[in-house]
Amino acid sequence: MAGLNLKNLYKSFGAVEVIKGVDLDIDHGEFVVFVGPSGCGKSTLLRMIAGLENITEGELFIGETLCNNVEPRDRGIAMVFQSYALYPHMTVYDNIGFGLKLARAPKEERDRKVREAARMLQLEPLLDRKPGQLSGGQRQRVAIGRAIVRQPEVFLFDEPLSNLDAALRVSMRQELTKLHHDLDATMIYVTHDQVEAMTMADKIVVLNGGVVQQVGAPIDLYQDPANLFVAGFIGSPKMNFIEVTAKTVGKGEVLVQSDVIGEISVPLNSDRVKTGDKLTLGIRPHALSRSDDGPFSGQVELVERLGNETVVNFTLSNGSAWMAVLDGDEPLKLGSEVRFSADVGAICLFDAAERRIR
Amino acid sequence: MNLIKRYWLTALASIVALVVFVTPFIFIILMAVKDRQQAALRDMSWPINFQLVENFLAVVQARDYMLITAYINSTILTVGSVTILVIVASMVGFVLQRHPTKWTPVVEFFVMAGLMIPPAVVPTIWLLQGIGLFKTLHGMILIEVAYNMSFAVILYRQFVATIPREMDEAAIIDGAKPLDVFFRVVFPMMWPVTVTNIVVQSVGIFNDFVNPLYYLPGRGNETVQLTLYSFQSQFNTQYNLLFMDILLVTIPPLLVFLFFNRQIVAGLSAGAIKG
Repeated sequence: MAGLNLKNLYKSFGAVEVIKGVDLDIDHGEFVVFVGPSGCGKSTLLRMIAGLENITEGELFIGETLCNNVEPRDRGIAMVFQSYALYPHMTVYDNIGFGLKLARAPKEERDRKVREAARMLQLEPLLDRKPGQLSGGQRQRVAIGRAIVRQPEVFLFDEPLSNLDAALRVSMRQELTKLHHDLDATMIYVTHDQVEAMTMADKIVVLNGGVVQQVGAPIDLYQDPANLFVAGFIGSPKMNFIEVTAKTVGKGEVLVQSDVIGEISVPLNSDRVKTGDKLTLGIRPHALSRSDDGPFSGQVELVERLGNETVVNFTLSNGSAWMAVLDGDEPLKLGSEVRFSADVGAICLFDAAERRIR
Repeated sequence: MNLIKRYWLTALASIVALVVFVTPFIFIILMAVKDRQQAALRDMSWPINFQLVENFLAVVQARDYMLITAYINSTILTVGSVTILVIVASMVGFVLQRHPTKWTPVVEFFVMAGLMIPPAVVPTIWLLQGIGLFKTLHGMILIEVAYNMSFAVILYRQFVATIPREMDEAAIIDGAKPLDVFFRVVFPMMWPVTVTNIVVQSVGIFNDFVNPLYYLPGRGNETVQLTLYSFQSQFNTQYNLLFMDILLVTIPPLLVFLFFNRQIVAGLSAGAIKG
């Protein structure tokens, strides 16, 4: 039974600060996903939890233990690497049992645990093979087996599915979710793929530039992003943005204005907006629908007809690229003018400091 | 006609290679089975009397079975120094590549110096005498290790760069201590370059003539290459026995090369593609 507690963690490589004060509480049994763009420090944070990187400053508790200076093997963790990192000279059986062998577990116990893990992951027919003779998905399962067999308190995954093809990724995603359910262990999962984050996580931690942007359930992050970065990062296709000015601030609503879109009244209960404030308006592509008198108009650049929906890329008159996702099939001509209206309840406003105004 | 047009250069190259590489070897074999008078002519003639067995026995029995002693010495020397070289050089290569510190450039300088600066014989002998290792086999082993260390370290270092760091990390997470990481995970993965090292170094050390001549004088200390001296002197050289001896001392390295040829090439080029 172990949760994790990260208190004001810092990490710098020489003069470069990579993690800048991360505070995070993870309860036992949670499936937590670290997500963010390349170089945001998500892998570094995971490696700090694993003990592969030193902690420059701050405290890391795994369970009740302060783990800053505890060796990786004593932290009660197991890690699955992006490249699987299977030992090529050992059979699948030895790969899975290597940790137990190092811990000098009795032979019968080792054999029992290895076979149990192999059964869980359907690896039994492959136990005598070397990693070189396995497919990508099988290697991935061996890597997971190697983690399971150590019975860790916390599983760490570093982009484990990014080397698999699309179909296999979907099925491994489901297997991992099931595994989390069966093992009832804490899992921390790093990915840059937000579909993985949305589908698997109990809790998503969005990181950017070494700082936690927002922590929350996937759907909360989607519906209620805390700032411009999270709004742009979570959700696919990404949210459309345009700069606007607050023209009049009324009770329960704000009238925003821009040369490109004219005036839109947005429902808002906040006293943070003053007349004349520079704001950013954000709207998800799914919240747009075609309408002949809508405020958002542009020139069609690209149409992706998927059958059940149509993804339209268009440019506004100020040149910014927007996207709309329309239900059903919409045969639009490239280069033609389109107009969209938006569900005003789905519009998000952000202040000059990129914080969400709620 | 077409065939000739297309392959004449290949054919020519093959013939030249055959003449350059095989002729000397045929000459050695022919000389080794001739009798003493015919061998003294040193020509490429067909042997009149085949004295294979007689020559062989004469060489083996010469100077109280010196060749046997020499084989034992050379084997101990080769196996001993190659073993130490492989273990130490692989560890040095691993640490140099994986854990760079401010001392790494210094170590690298010494490695390069070891490759480029020729060894000084007299001071080395003086040092060996000082620590009581002159004219001893284990002293000779240390000399060979020292002389060949640089090359072995460079080979290993290049190869370690191709082993993903995640392998080490996976082992650390699995609970491996530093020595486990090296000997159970990294060292087995270095097998191709280890084979290369074993072959290149053992052939080189087995065939070494000059260093044992300087550092390992004395009765009973001969290595196989030094036995060549016992059939050659200023006034009286027995060419048939000399060439029989050459034949005998050439065979072991030749066998090693024939068996491991493929792995040597694999190991030498392994570090070249990446890193």
